[in-house]
Amino acid sequence: MLELKHELKLAKTRDEKARMNFVSGLRAHVLNDMATGMRTVYEGDVEPGFRRSAGRTPKDGPEVHKAIKPNEYFKFYSSLRVTAQDMVWQSVFPPLERNRGALKSKATALAKTKRRERRAEHGSLTLQPGFEVPRYVSAIDVHLMAGNYDGEYEANDLAAGALYDNGLAVFSFGLMGQNLDDIGQSIAGFIRLKYPHLKPKKILDLGCTIGHNTGSWRDQFPAAEVHGIDVAAPCLRYAYARAEAQGRAIHFTQMNAEALDFPDASFDVVFSSMFLHEIPQKGIANIMREAFRVLRPGGLMLHMELPPNSQLSAYDAFYLDWDSAYNNEPFYKPFRDLKPEELCRKAGFDPKKYVQFVIPSVGWYGEKVWSESATQPRDVDNDKTGRLTDGILWYCFGAWK
Amino acid sequence: MSAARTTSSKGASKPKAKVKPKAKAKAKPTAVADTPSRQPMRRTIRGGRPYFFADPAIDKLLNMLVVLGSEVWTLRERLAALEAIQIRQGGLAAGELDAHEFSAEDESRLAAERKEFIDSLFRILQEQVEEARRR
Repeated sequence: MLELKHELKLAKTRDEKARMNFVSGLRAHVLNDMATGMRTVYEGDVEPGFRRSAGRTPKDGPEVHKAIKPNEYFKFYSSLRVTAQDMVWQSVFPPLERNRGALKSKATALAKTKRRERRAEHGSLTLQPGFEVPRYVSAIDVHLMAGNYDGEYEANDLAAGALYDNGLAVFSFGLMGQNLDDIGQSIAGFIRLKYPHLKPKKILDLGCTIGHNTGSWRDQFPAAEVHGIDVAAPCLRYAYARAEAQGRAIHFTQMNAEALDFPDASFDVVFSSMFLHEIPQKGIANIMREAFRVLRPGGLMLHMELPPNSQLSAYDAFYLDWDSAYNNEPFYKPFRDLKPEELCRKAGFDPKKYVQFVIPSVGWYGEKVWSESATQPRDVDNDKTGRLTDGILWYCFGAWK
Repeated sequence: MSAARTTSSKGASKPKAKVKPKAKAKAKPTAVADTPSRQPMRRTIRGGRPYFFADPAIDKLLNMLVVLGSEVWTLRERLAALEAIQIRQGGLAAGELDAHEFSAEDESRLAAERKEFIDSLFRILQEQVEEARRR
């Protein structure tokens, strides 16, 4: 298990740590070893069977899914993956439940410290009374996380944020970086390297949850004013305290990315990570239009996401869509079925200004390989693109305005 | 929805799903007294979970097995911590635990406890035998 490095991390007993270590190890086994095993079973057994009866290979992810579903290895892989996913959150609940009061006091103290120190720059938290959380967030427990991002149990609650932060540390088995910021560090850093002329004054992170990837933009572009928005109040409360604990000045606001409360042409970079796949298609179109609206001419919109089905092999498409079928991710496949270039075009972006990148994780590959990628583009079609596995490559797409 | 079967939470276990946005949310977190009687966080998943085997009992048993595996691992880590502390404090020499031989008396007590452990592990099969014996 990855130990978070910031002040808000939960105090755990020896046994609680051991349980988390076990779940992380189990996830690594399922997502590395068993995933490799399943591919071998598919190629050696399932696909030849399909070819014999159909006279061709499966044409897309759903055909692979249908063919592999009766296979026993698939059943064990899937059943163990669901169990591991559930155990991720279950391993966090006991220490979290015990620490809820302490966590709240810490968060309050951090906010006070900030006021006392009167730092030249500091962040802020703005919640909207009576804010309406969209049903696609309020009605489901995404990736089997009971309570989802927005669940609240008392006034000024931030437990859901802590559940997500500490759960993600177990879930990611080290692949998301020391403070779960590998996506942010890899991508914000890549953009700084690739576009040295870019000097953003204002940066916006959409659907930022606990701000774990928002902070990287602040690190890479220290002169920029960085904003993070989300619909979930408990995540934002936690994000603000987390950023303050890490000494990062970030402005968190409760807002729906489909209807941003920012003026036209007010940001130089609009970013999101692991966000669009949680939104129904209609909402995605609204979000893209809003991103276009709030961007200044010459600004960059960039979404870190799962790679689209149109750019992957049938097997890899099936593999990534597993979550949509079995991990309470109803909008995951519908998003991956969309073509990113078209999404950008329909939002008003010039198709000639479309960009997409496959960026090696800086934590996994190290600075050298990672920085070389700024000048050496990689193909999307790779079984490491967007897949939580050893050697992960982050995918992102977007456009210049 | 996927073709996998799911269970839905119905009746008594119906979770309080619709969390309303807080009307009283303020711009900044304020100090709130720690209420010991706070409502516990919900741990059941809305929408249930998928099952993959012909009989969902197999998925459930697999889950139990893995949870048990987790507890076995937890004990091992705890034992390793205990051993490391003992060695650090001089109560145990490095390698002493591995070299340890039980006395004849300890050995015989452990053998009886082991038998009891194995019997209880397979008690469920013994039930069938006892039912047959009663007939």
